[in-house]
Amino acid sequence: MNTKIGKLLEEARVDGFLAYRTIHGFFFPYLFSRENARKLEPWKQTKAHYPMAKLLLALARGNPNRTYGILVRGCEERAIRELFKWGQLERERVVMLGQACPAELARHCECWQPYPSQVDYGKPVPPVKGSKRVQDLEKMTAENRLQWWLSHFNRCIRCFGCRDVCPVCFCTDCSMEHEKLIPSNKLPPDTSFHLVRAVHMTGRCIDCGLCEEVCPARIHLRTLYKEVNRLVEEVFDYKPGTDGQNSPFIFPGEEAMLPPGPR
Amino acid sequence: MKDKIFEPRILGFLCNWCSYAGADLAGVSRLQYPPNIRIIRVMCSGTVSPHHILHAFQRRADGVLVAGCHIGDCHYLKGNYLTMKRMKFLEGLLRFAGYEPQRLHLEWISAAEGGKFADTVREFTERIRELGPAPSFEAVPKATAIKVT
Repeated sequence: MNTKIGKLLEEARVDGFLAYRTIHGFFFPYLFSRENARKLEPWKQTKAHYPMAKLLLALARGNPNRTYGILVRGCEERAIRELFKWGQLERERVVMLGQACPAELARHCECWQPYPSQVDYGKPVPPVKGSKRVQDLEKMTAENRLQWWLSHFNRCIRCFGCRDVCPVCFCTDCSMEHEKLIPSNKLPPDTSFHLVRAVHMTGRCIDCGLCEEVCPARIHLRTLYKEVNRLVEEVFDYKPGTDGQNSPFIFPGEEAMLPPGPR
Repeated sequence: MKDKIFEPRILGFLCNWCSYAGADLAGVSRLQYPPNIRIIRVMCSGTVSPHHILHAFQRRADGVLVAGCHIGDCHYLKGNYLTMKRMKFLEGLLRFAGYEPQRLHLEWISAAEGGKFADTVREFTERIRELGPAPSFEAVPKATAIKVT
């Protein structure tokens, strides 16, 4: 990792590089620049999973004229591609280096593509087809499924963690804060909170699973969004984060585009 | 109170150019249909956001009817194509979350089809009457269902 990133920094291809650094034995996201390039470490495989794309988005919004490099997993690459499509990041201002996920992480995520298109570090492991968690729920009766979801949704403490960590949640105005739709005086919020978010994940969710990891109530959000993705593929014939296919959720014309901006 | 038959509350989103005119025709033709439906006129069925439908269920609607022009007849050329996909997605989502997708109904009704409008409302009301009241979005799970995983 140190040689490739060091070279990118030295040749001034990038102004900063977002990768990991070990601090007290743990992996943390770290922004490397020419000044601290000596702190770069050799690449090591890790299960550490951070909202790297979201960090990149925040960096790019703060410094629109700079070019950043980023170390990506399969899901992070999909997130960045989706952000390109929505006009939130510029293609020429992002340089990606890819790392493949370990088999354990791919299994845990039930990831359909646990590696980016270009793998610089690690060895790609085979993707997981289908999702056992979704299939288990499909087998239940409608009544049991409702009870199962209610037992999850009722634990929600409305911390907005799922939204705040989501790499593709970039809107400056959020429907989750709509007073009529999600009344602010209700705790736990009713089912509409999760269904509205699920509706907003259509054509955007790249299945990184950060929402579920960050959820303090351990709501199985990923299972819900995996089904959302399956429906999007079935109804709209679109897989978010794939290259070369325009998103059917973006209307042509500049007025309809969501403007980039800080939230 | 108990032996009173259940009167469902149904919300109808009708498009301005076809279905609303169809409903109007049903009225002027004096066709009978159940008064359980409350109609909201929208400019196009494509303007009905999933939010509106979820909000209707949140506010205790027992069924939601969305009606628009026939495919190819949309006043805005392709608004009803959007509706069709959106409704299909929303049905799938409601089903997966454990709610009955039958409470959501999409129908193409043209301005000349007053009879079809009356039939649709009649059939839909009967269907919802059989299903009973919609589960509340504020429901709490039964004690047996609570299992922290």
